[in-house]
Amino acid sequence: MKVDKQSVVALLGGNGTGKSTILKAASGLIRSWKGTIEFNNEQIQNLPPHEIVARGLVQVTQGKDVFPAMSVTENLRLGGFILKTNQQLKDNLEKVFNYFPRLNERKDQLAATLSGGELQMLCIGRGLMSNPKMIMLDEPSAALAPQIVLDIFKNINRIRKDGLTVLVVEQNVRMALLLADYGYVIKDGVINVEGESKKLMYDESVKESYLGGTKANV
Amino acid sequence: MSFESFKTVLTIGLSVGIIYGLVALGISLIYTGLDVVNFSHGEFFMIGAFAGLTMFNILGNQDWIFNLFPEAYGWIIYVICLFTAFVSMGLFGVFIERIFLRPLTKKGGGYTVAGMGIIICGFGLSVVLINVAYLIWNPVAKPFPAELGLPMEIGGIFLPITYVWMIIVGLFVAGGLWVFLNKTKMGLGIRAVAFSKDVSNLVGINVPLYISIIFGIACAIAGIGGTLVGPTYQVVVFMGYIILMKAFAAAVVGGFGNLPGAIVGGFTVGIFETASSFYVSGSHKDLYAFLLMIIVLMIKPTGFFGVQVKMKA
Repeated sequence: MKVDKQSVVALLGGNGTGKSTILKAASGLIRSWKGTIEFNNEQIQNLPPHEIVARGLVQVTQGKDVFPAMSVTENLRLGGFILKTNQQLKDNLEKVFNYFPRLNERKDQLAATLSGGELQMLCIGRGLMSNPKMIMLDEPSAALAPQIVLDIFKNINRIRKDGLTVLVVEQNVRMALLLADYGYVIKDGVINVEGESKKLMYDESVKESYLGGTKANV
Repeated sequence: MSFESFKTVLTIGLSVGIIYGLVALGISLIYTGLDVVNFSHGEFFMIGAFAGLTMFNILGNQDWIFNLFPEAYGWIIYVICLFTAFVSMGLFGVFIERIFLRPLTKKGGGYTVAGMGIIICGFGLSVVLINVAYLIWNPVAKPFPAELGLPMEIGGIFLPITYVWMIIVGLFVAGGLWVFLNKTKMGLGIRAVAFSKDVSNLVGINVPLYISIIFGIACAIAGIGGTLVGPTYQVVVFMGYIILMKAFAAAVVGGFGNLPGAIVGGFTVGIFETASSFYVSGSHKDLYAFLLMIIVLMIKPTGFFGVQVKMKA
C-alpha cells in the first residue's frame, strides 16, 4: 500500500477488517510483527509515537478522543505540543481557526460541551497544529449527521489543497471515494481491491467486500 | 469547649492536615498519571525528611553562613533543607520509576492492567526503602533542631512556629503545583498524559518521559512534606507508614485522583483527627482518620470532589 505526496487516499472496509490497526501501527501505538512502514524514505515502524509525530505523520482520531476537561484552546495547544516557539503556536492556532471558525467561537469552552461535529473539527484541528506533512484520519464521519459529514469533508478537501497528504479511513464509502484520488479496499486484514477512486465507485467487488462478502441466509 | 482551645486545635489540625494533603497530592498525582496506587509513597516522605536533616546537619556546622546572615540564619538553612529534600526526592523518584517500575510496565499491559504487579512492587519497595534507611540512619528517632524563632501564642498555648510554617509552605507548594499544571506547557502535557496515554502519544508527547516526571514531582512533594514535619516532630525510619495511611484516608475523603480534593481532604482529616483527640480521647489518635474515611465512604463514596471513577480498560 502506498500514499503519494499531496494526494488523498482512502482506506475502506467493513467493521473489524483491520483499518484502524494499520493506522495505529503507522503512528506507533502498536508494534508491527513484520513488514515495514516507510515515511519520507525512512523506516518508522520501530519508532516511539512522539518521534513519528515529530517527523510529520499525525493520526487524527475519532471525535471522542479529545481531552474533555480542557478548553478548546488547550486541546489545540496540545496538538502543537512539539512546536518549539510560541509564535509558531499562535500562527497555527490562527490557521486552524481559519479552517474551522466554529472552534474560534468556542475556544474557551470545555471540550466536553461541544457537539459531535465540533469535536471532529477539534480533532482535525489538533492534528493540524503540529505542522504535519501527512495526516491520517480515522473515520471522520463516524456517528455524525450527513450535513456535518459534508461540511467536514469539504474542509478535508481544503486542507488537501493546501498541500497536505491525507489518508482517510472510512466506512462511508461514497463520501470517501468522492474525496480521494485513489482507494484501497481491505478485507480480513489484506488489501482486496485497489484502484482509482472513480473506478472503485462503480466496482461490484467493492460493494461485496465492503459488506464483508456475507450473503444473508434466508 | 472554648473558642481559645478551638484556635489551638485548628492550627494543629491544619498543620498536620497540610502534610497529609501533600502526601495525598502525590498519591493522587501518581494515581491519575500511572493508574496505580503507590504504596511506597510514605517512604519517599521519610527519606525526604532524612535528606532535609542530612543537609541541616551539614549546614549547621558552617560558621560562615551564620556570620553572613546572623538574623535569618535558621530560616535560610531551613529553606535550603526544604529545597534539598524537593530536588533529591524528585531525582530519586525518577530513578525509582525508571529502574523498578518501568521494566514491569514494559513486560506487558502498560500502566493499566498490569497495575497489580506495580502495586505489589510498591509494597516491596516500601520494605526495601525502610530497611535501606535503617542501615544508613539506624532506627533511633532523631531531632531536627531547626532554629526558626520563638514559639507563638495561639489560643493561650505556646505553639512552635513550625506549625504555622508548615501550613504556609504546604499551601505554597500546593499552589505552585496548581500553577505548574495549569499555566505551563509541561503541566499541560502532564494533564494530557493523566487523562489518556494513547491520545497523548498521538499529539507527540513523550509519554514515558512524562510518566517519570509525574512520579518525580509526586515524590518531590512528599520529600518537602517530610522536611516540613521534621522540626515539629522527629525524624525516624518508621514515620512513612502511618503518614501513608493517613494520606490515603485524606485522598479518599477528598476524592481519589482529584488534586484540590487531596488538600481539602488532608485538612479535613487533620482537623477531625486533632479535634477528636483533643475533645474525646487522645489515646486512639490514629483511629479517627479512618473513622472519618469510613463515614465519608458511607455517605458519598466518591469523596468530596470525586467524580466518576476512571474506567480501567
